[in-house]
Amino acid sequence: MNRQIGELAGRTHEDVLSVLARADATRLKAFAEPLITDLGDIEVRENRTGLVMLPMRDTAQGVHFHLGEVLMSEARISAAGIEGYGMRRGRDLEAAMAMALVDLCVALGLRHDDCAAFVEAEAQSQTAEDEATLKRVEATRVDMETF
Amino acid sequence: MAYVATRGGERAIEQSQRLFKAEMGAITPERVAELRAALPYLIDRVMGEASLYDEDLAALALAQTGGEMYEAALLLRAWRTTQPRLQVAQPVTQDALFTHRRISAAFKDIPGGQVLGPTLDYSHRILATEVLTGDTHTPAPVEPAAKPSPARQPSVAAWQAENGLLDPAVPDQTLGNDIPDVTREPLLFPAKRAHTLQSLARAETGGALALGYAAQRGYGQAHPTVNELRLAEAEIVVEHPRGTRFSAGRVKISQAEVVDKKGAGLRLGFSATMGWNEVKVIAAATLDLNAPGAPKGAPTEEEFFLYHTEGVEASGFCIHFKLPHYVTFQSSLDAMRDAKAKAAAQQAQPAEADATEHPTTEPAQ
Repeated sequence: MNRQIGELAGRTHEDVLSVLARADATRLKAFAEPLITDLGDIEVRENRTGLVMLPMRDTAQGVHFHLGEVLMSEARISAAGIEGYGMRRGRDLEAAMAMALVDLCVALGLRHDDCAAFVEAEAQSQTAEDEATLKRVEATRVDMETF
Repeated sequence: MAYVATRGGERAIEQSQRLFKAEMGAITPERVAELRAALPYLIDRVMGEASLYDEDLAALALAQTGGEMYEAALLLRAWRTTQPRLQVAQPVTQDALFTHRRISAAFKDIPGGQVLGPTLDYSHRILATEVLTGDTHTPAPVEPAAKPSPARQPSVAAWQAENGLLDPAVPDQTLGNDIPDVTREPLLFPAKRAHTLQSLARAETGGALALGYAAQRGYGQAHPTVNELRLAEAEIVVEHPRGTRFSAGRVKISQAEVVDKKGAGLRLGFSATMGWNEVKVIAAATLDLNAPGAPKGAPTEEEFFLYHTEGVEASGFCIHFKLPHYVTFQSSLDAMRDAKAKAAAQQAQPAEADATEHPTTEPAQ
């Protein structure tokens, strides 16, 4: 099966990016740092904080409006004419750079198995965290009765 | 009108700021982290009113201002202007929310059921005074259910529309920078709905509550019932340079629909904000519900509530009255004295004329 650029086995590019954006920052940085050696010459095009405006759809009339802005960290790097991108919530430029490094590695097909294993482990951790949250939420389910 | 700067106060101003900050002591990373961890609802409120979502920045703003909420929101809004806008995310939709709390006061058997989530709604309000005598108050842990709640819950309004109780909302096709934005264009009246809802999203909680409460008590045309209230997390869906859309993380949001029961069908008011702040969204949705046809000058009239719930402008205008107004005040005093003198002169003139026409001295016999 041909994979699209940026995809991993069983995971779309969207999946990979979404998992990396939410990955534990310490683990992500530790995983990404050695990738620099594999990537060779890297051009850092952007590594900055900035804002993403978040709109929402109103459920009464369907109108899109802005809820407000979210602080994000962004990194854009390139190697061999391919771009790697990282964007994560909060003020952590190193974590955004680490995400961009993994994205670039995946796009260039470098360390594929390591990247796949890292993304898989982080995805499982995120799923487990969500499940634990939702089990606590489920404990508050209520059946209202009227008398 | 003339203004003069106050001269000679530099040292006093410097010392007054030091005096304000002296009460708080040193601001350390540990203090900021503790504020963030211990006061999530206050952090949410500041982020919503500042219209800037970042827990660390909000905690820092609270630490730096000693909890002075208006100053904290102002600091964050000022800091926001130093940052570039990287993207406009894809619009958040209700059915995609990772839902923690979802209740309806209108229907008990809503599709997906009701989950109370984190709330003190049914709690006894008892102050844990044992902490002040050296004990630690440790809340009992949640006993999780065996299976998870569905992350995504269906929309009550969509279900009502399917049953002919509501007109279905027509999804907006406006996206990105084409969505009207009150941070980049003036708020004009009648306001665009996108401006109204954005202004309410960043409204000051107390202001929205005061005016929403006025409407709920009878100074509005419609009494609200909460159709659906949600506390949730929304994905921030952004675009990779190669065009892939992905979630760059989640933020907490609150959303309320209130419903008016008068007339042939139901009618909704809506509000949402960043952070978990359900008082604000219920009050703001009440204002949205009451706005159509509200008389000029009523608390539910759009211009009235949008101008008067903008916390940074309102607090700024309020506190500016304590700053030196010596010239304008003296000018008013001069005008007052002049008016008094003119009134006294006018009173004296008829008396003099009267004295000429009707002398009081008796003519000589």
